[in-house]
Amino acid sequence: MQSKARKNCVRASIPARMNIIAFWHILLLALAMQIFPMLLISRQVKVGITQNPPKTLINSSGEADGIFVDILNAIAEEEGWEIHYIPGTWEETYLRLQKGELDLMPDMAYSEERSRAFSFHKIPVLSSWSQVYTRKGLEVHAITEFADKRIAVLEKSIQQSTLETMVTGFNLPVQFVPVASFDAAFQAVVDNKADLAITNYFFGRMNARKYGLMDTAIVMEPSSLFYASLKGRNLDLLRAIDIQLDKMMHTPLSAYYQSIRKWTSQDIGYRLPQNLKILLILVGALLVFTVAATFIFKHQVALRTRELQESNIEMEHRIMRRTAELADAMQRAQEADTLKSAFLATMSHELRTPLNSIIGFTGLMLNELPGKINGEQRKQLGIVQASSRHLLDLINDILDISKIEAGQLDLHSESFNLRESLDKLIKVVTPQATKKGLEISVVYAMQQQEIYLDKRRLEQIVLNLLSNAIKFTENGSVKLLVGRFGNEIKIQVIDTGIGIPEAELPHLFKPFRQVDTGLTRKYDGSGLGLSICYQLTKLMGGEIWVDSKEDVGSIFSVKLPLNQEVIL
Amino acid sequence: MIKKLLIIEDNPENMYLMRYMLTISGYEVHSAENGPLGIQMAREICPCAILLDIQLPEMDGYEVTRALKNIQEISHVPIIAVTSYAMVGDKEKALASGASGYIEKPINPDTFVEEMEYYISKKRYPVEGEPDESSDC
Repeated sequence: MQSKARKNCVRASIPARMNIIAFWHILLLALAMQIFPMLLISRQVKVGITQNPPKTLINSSGEADGIFVDILNAIAEEEGWEIHYIPGTWEETYLRLQKGELDLMPDMAYSEERSRAFSFHKIPVLSSWSQVYTRKGLEVHAITEFADKRIAVLEKSIQQSTLETMVTGFNLPVQFVPVASFDAAFQAVVDNKADLAITNYFFGRMNARKYGLMDTAIVMEPSSLFYASLKGRNLDLLRAIDIQLDKMMHTPLSAYYQSIRKWTSQDIGYRLPQNLKILLILVGALLVFTVAATFIFKHQVALRTRELQESNIEMEHRIMRRTAELADAMQRAQEADTLKSAFLATMSHELRTPLNSIIGFTGLMLNELPGKINGEQRKQLGIVQASSRHLLDLINDILDISKIEAGQLDLHSESFNLRESLDKLIKVVTPQATKKGLEISVVYAMQQQEIYLDKRRLEQIVLNLLSNAIKFTENGSVKLLVGRFGNEIKIQVIDTGIGIPEAELPHLFKPFRQVDTGLTRKYDGSGLGLSICYQLTKLMGGEIWVDSKEDVGSIFSVKLPLNQEVIL
Repeated sequence: MIKKLLIIEDNPENMYLMRYMLTISGYEVHSAENGPLGIQMAREICPCAILLDIQLPEMDGYEVTRALKNIQEISHVPIIAVTSYAMVGDKEKALASGASGYIEKPINPDTFVEEMEYYISKKRYPVEGEPDESSDC
């Protein structure tokens, strides 16, 4: 919108030159562009400048310089202003602005108090804060430690008013040493005319080291810095500044950013606040520590992992060894079992051969085939016969057990009449019962008498249970109950005998378990009968169990499934 | 005519027992204490039945049975195994090798002769449908 052809002179010491040719050139151009002629007369702007690097300063060539100057010059170029810089101390410049001798004062921190006397544009040029500096060795950490200290402050500066408010608030006896510039403030501390100096952040960062001062942790009055005019005056300048600042702030590599980089990068940009440095060192150390710790932990984890793997492998080996040992032991046990069965079979055979003679000849003599025998001889031969038959029973039982355990016992199912079969058994045991005065009876609760089972084994089981019942009953009765329920038969042998102690019940069906060894004398038997019954029942897919009460009696129950039923 | 029987048995007591019972029952009893001798005697006397122990020295009862069955002149003579082998399959094994009957030791003196005669009359123990030849003895 504006001509760029004309270059403003921005040097404070040299009045702006008028290039006539250029002027007319611009005028013609502006006319051609039909722009209001009034704007073509360049605006004369008087700007106060203080020695407050890097924000404002007079450089070694005697020219106005610094961030505010650069930015203002860029704006002036855009707006076609001609700027005159009038140098002075902060206070002088401040007073000049108040008197209306200046149009603008740069680097003015906004405060409410100031806003009553001055006008500010809206977009802050810079944000700053004040920081307290001190000599090395003098430690100040809090504002309360300002007591009895001399503090160098820039006269009429925002720091002064802020600090005054604060020390009054804390009721601290503080002596202010007013100085004309921040340089002077630092010099006062160096010269021991003051203990502390308060400057803005930009100045302190740039110059504290040069004066051999160090910063304190005391930071105050974060402020926004503006160009200011006398209240209500030069508002057009302020408006234009806002417009141009907004434009520059939204443009990378604009004069605004270039200036800030130029003035802050050399000395300030790379220097960090002390506490930030410490923080960085701490962070760095932490990082190093973390990395080291990570390595150490990783190493330890790797070590542990290896240990675990090793112990795992060892465990596996141990388990494998154990498994092998167990398999071995199992095999040996099985071999031993087979061997035992083979041994029992052989023994039973070897025992039968002499028994054959004993039983045979005893029978012959009792039948008086070789000749007549007297009463005593008959009695004694009778004992020999009974004993040898008992011995044969034992051998047969042992043989049965060893057959079952060797897996050599096969079932041979056939179709037969259960009632006929059981009636025959009752007939066999009736003499024994009658001899003891026992009542023996049988009850059938079944319609269909034909069943398909291993007849011989079924008879073996029932006969065993009946013989036991008779053997262990002194008076009363032995009853056989036979029932058919669906696809199974249930056979119960109920006696009124001596019963079985509760403690003995769990062992009853184990081999060689005749209740109370004392009974073996009184009631002969191998103690294998029930074990055989149990094994046979199991083999036939059924169940056997007992209900008993001492001195009342016992009920032995057998349940057998009828798998292949043949109905005739 | 007195019926001839051959007993092949290595145990002298058992031999004596059977011989006694059978002699009393009216048989002419011949005996051999091992297989080869038994086979030789069977050829010579041609008994009406052979009572054979299974557990024999040198040649066991099964082998003796097979050998006897292979001899034309005596292959028809019923063989009855009398043995204390009582494990599963013993009976089947004996019958499979050619025996006509099987009597388990210890023998029952009251029923032994009866049992033996039953098997002799049957000739072949389990096979059905075969002509029931009477003994040549």
